[in-house]
Amino acid sequence: MLYRLALLIFLVALAPHARAEAAADFGEHLAACAACHGKQGEGVQGAEYYPHLAGKPAGYLLEQLRGFRDGRRVSTQMMWYVRFADDAFLQSIADYYAALPPRTRSADTGAAQLTDERRHVAQNLVEHGDPAHDVPACSACHGANLAGLEPGVPALLGLPVDYVIAQFGAWREGVRNGAPPDCMHDVAGKIAADDIRAIAVYLSQQSNVDSLRPSPAGSFVPPKACGSLPHAETAK
Amino acid sequence: MKALRIAAIVAVPFLLAALAIGFFLFEQQGGLAPYRIPKDSSRVVAADAETLKRGEYLARIGDCQACHTAPSGTPFAGGRGFASGYGMIYSSNLTPDREHGIGAWSVDEFAHAMRHGVSRRGPLYPVFPYEHFATLADADIDAIYIYLRSLPASANVPPANRLDFPASWRSALVLWRMLHYRPEPAPAANDDRGRYLVDGLGHCAMCHSTREPSGALATGGYLAGGRIPGSGWYAPPLDAKQLRRYSVEQLAGYLRSGASDAGAAYGPMAEVVYRSLQALSEDDALAMASYLKKVPARPRRDTEFTLLPEAPRQTVMGNGADIYKHHCADCHGNDGEGKNGQYPALRDAVATVAPDPINAVRMVLYGGFPAAMAHNPQPYSMPPFVQQLSPAEIAAVTNYVRETFGGQRSYLTPADVEAMHGIVLD
Repeated sequence: MLYRLALLIFLVALAPHARAEAAADFGEHLAACAACHGKQGEGVQGAEYYPHLAGKPAGYLLEQLRGFRDGRRVSTQMMWYVRFADDAFLQSIADYYAALPPRTRSADTGAAQLTDERRHVAQNLVEHGDPAHDVPACSACHGANLAGLEPGVPALLGLPVDYVIAQFGAWREGVRNGAPPDCMHDVAGKIAADDIRAIAVYLSQQSNVDSLRPSPAGSFVPPKACGSLPHAETAK
Repeated sequence: MKALRIAAIVAVPFLLAALAIGFFLFEQQGGLAPYRIPKDSSRVVAADAETLKRGEYLARIGDCQACHTAPSGTPFAGGRGFASGYGMIYSSNLTPDREHGIGAWSVDEFAHAMRHGVSRRGPLYPVFPYEHFATLADADIDAIYIYLRSLPASANVPPANRLDFPASWRSALVLWRMLHYRPEPAPAANDDRGRYLVDGLGHCAMCHSTREPSGALATGGYLAGGRIPGSGWYAPPLDAKQLRRYSVEQLAGYLRSGASDAGAAYGPMAEVVYRSLQALSEDDALAMASYLKKVPARPRRDTEFTLLPEAPRQTVMGNGADIYKHHCADCHGNDGEGKNGQYPALRDAVATVAPDPINAVRMVLYGGFPAAMAHNPQPYSMPPFVQQLSPAEIAAVTNYVRETFGGQRSYLTPADVEAMHGIVLD
C-alpha cells in the first residue's frame, strides 16, 4: 500500500516534467515554422512581419491552420507547409504553440510612429470603438488587456504593424475569410484606412510584460457574433 | 492549260502519298473505333453495397478526386487547372449532374471514355490518363462508375480551357493521337496485381516516365524519370536500380505513408500519398512495391538539366562544406547519413542523385512538411533557407551535397537559384 502510494506520488511529480519534455520534443518537428515564427513561437526580431504564436488560444490557431489548408486564408508560404496535413496534426501544432508562454516584448516597429493626436484616435478606437459607425472596441472582444479570449480570440499585444494592416486589407477584400457571420470582415469595412494604420502602430507598441494569457472562456461576452467561433459564447 | 496538267501530274503522287500516310497513322491510333461512342448502350450494372465500396476504393487509389476537384471546390465537380505546353486545361465535372456532369452517360459510354479517351464531347486531352486506364478490367471500371453515380450531383461548370491554337481546337487532338497515341492491346491476364495497379489506376508513368516536349512518352522512357510536364518538379526513375535502397516492405510503407528513412515525399508525390495512396490496402501496396523493384533500369539519358539554359556550366562549390556543417549536419549528419525516423539521409537520396537539381534547390530554399496523416501522423519538417542564405550560398551548399553524397556533377549558379525564388504551389 505504502509502496503504491510512493509510486503514485513519484509518477504525479514526474508528470509535468514528462509533459514539458514531450512538448519540447514536438517542437523538433516544427523547424519549418521556427524560421519565421521563432523557436518558441515568439517571432523573429528584425524586419518583422510574421506574427508571434506563443500563447494564442489553440482554437484560434487551429482555425487559421485549417484556413490556410482549405483556402479561407491566403498565404502561399503557409499553404505550402500545411496543404497536405490532416486535422490531427494541425491540432498538435496549435496545442504546442498555445501552451508556450506569451511573448512579453512589443513589436519592432521600425520607423512607424504616431503623433499624439493619432495615438489618441487609435487608443480611443481600441478602447471604446466608434459607436456612431457600429464599430466595437477591440477590447470588447480581445479583452480589456488585449490578451485574447479562449477558445478562439487572439491577443493583439505587440503584433507587427505591417501584419495587422495586411490582415485588415485581407478582411476587406475577402482574401481572409472567417465562417459567416464574418465579424472581422464587417468591422474592417467600417474603419478608415488612416485609422487602421494608427491602430496597427498603436497595437505594435503594446508589450505584455506580465506574459498575460488569454482570458478564460466565458469570462466576458463579446458584443458581436463570430461564425469562426461557434463554440464560443457571443452576443446574438 | 498544259502547265496545269503538268502540275496535276506532279502533285497527284504527293497527295496520294500524304493520304496513305494519314490513313496509316489514323489506323495506328485505333482507326474509327475510338470515335464510335456507345451512346445507346442499355447495359446496367447492379449498384450493390459491395460494388459501391470497391468503386470508392478504386477511385481513391486512382486519385480521380485530386484532379477532378478545384481548390476548395466540390469533390469530383471538376475545375482544377493543369498547365501544359499548350496552355491551361481544366478538369471536368464527374458528378451525376445530367447537364454539367456525367449523369447522362451509360456505363459503356463511361468505359469508352476511360479506355479510348473520347467522350460525347469529343477527344479528351491526354492530361486525362486514358492510355493507362485502357488496361483496367471491366469489373473495375463498372465499380468506379457505380461509385461516381452515388455522389451528390453538382451543377458546377469548370472554367473553359485556355489553349493556344491549334490545341484549342478539339479536333486537332485527332492529329495529336495520330502522331503520338498507340493503343496497346490489354494484357491477356492481369496476373501481376502490382503491374496492374502501377500501369493502370496508379498511372505512375504520367509523372515518372521520360516525356518528349510534345508530352508524348519518349522511346524507352517507361518509368525512366524526368521533369514533370507543367510542373517544377523532377520525378525519379522507378526501377530496380533506383529503388535498391528499399526493401519491398519499406517501399510499400513509403507508398502509404510518404516517408521512409531514405527520404520523404514532397510536392506532387506528397499530394498523391495524401489524397490517394494512403488508402492502399497493405496487399496492394506490397504488390506495387514488388513490381516496381522488378522494373529493369533503363540506361540513363544524357539529358543535361538546366534551370537557366544560358548559365555557364561550372561548379560553384565555394564554402559549401562549411555551410553544410553549420546549417545541415545537425539533422542530416556529417556524412549525410541522416537520423533514423526523423531526418532523412542525403547520401544517395532522390534529390541528391537526380540529374535534375530542381527538387534539391526547392527543398533548400523553401523546406516543407511531408504529408501528415494516419500512416505518418507527426512528420518532421525541413526549414526554409531562403531568408538565411544568399543565392550564392544556396548554390554552393546544394552543389556540395549533390557531389559529395550523390556523386552527381552539379553546376548550380546563384542565377539558377534566383530563378527559383517564389514559392509555386505546383
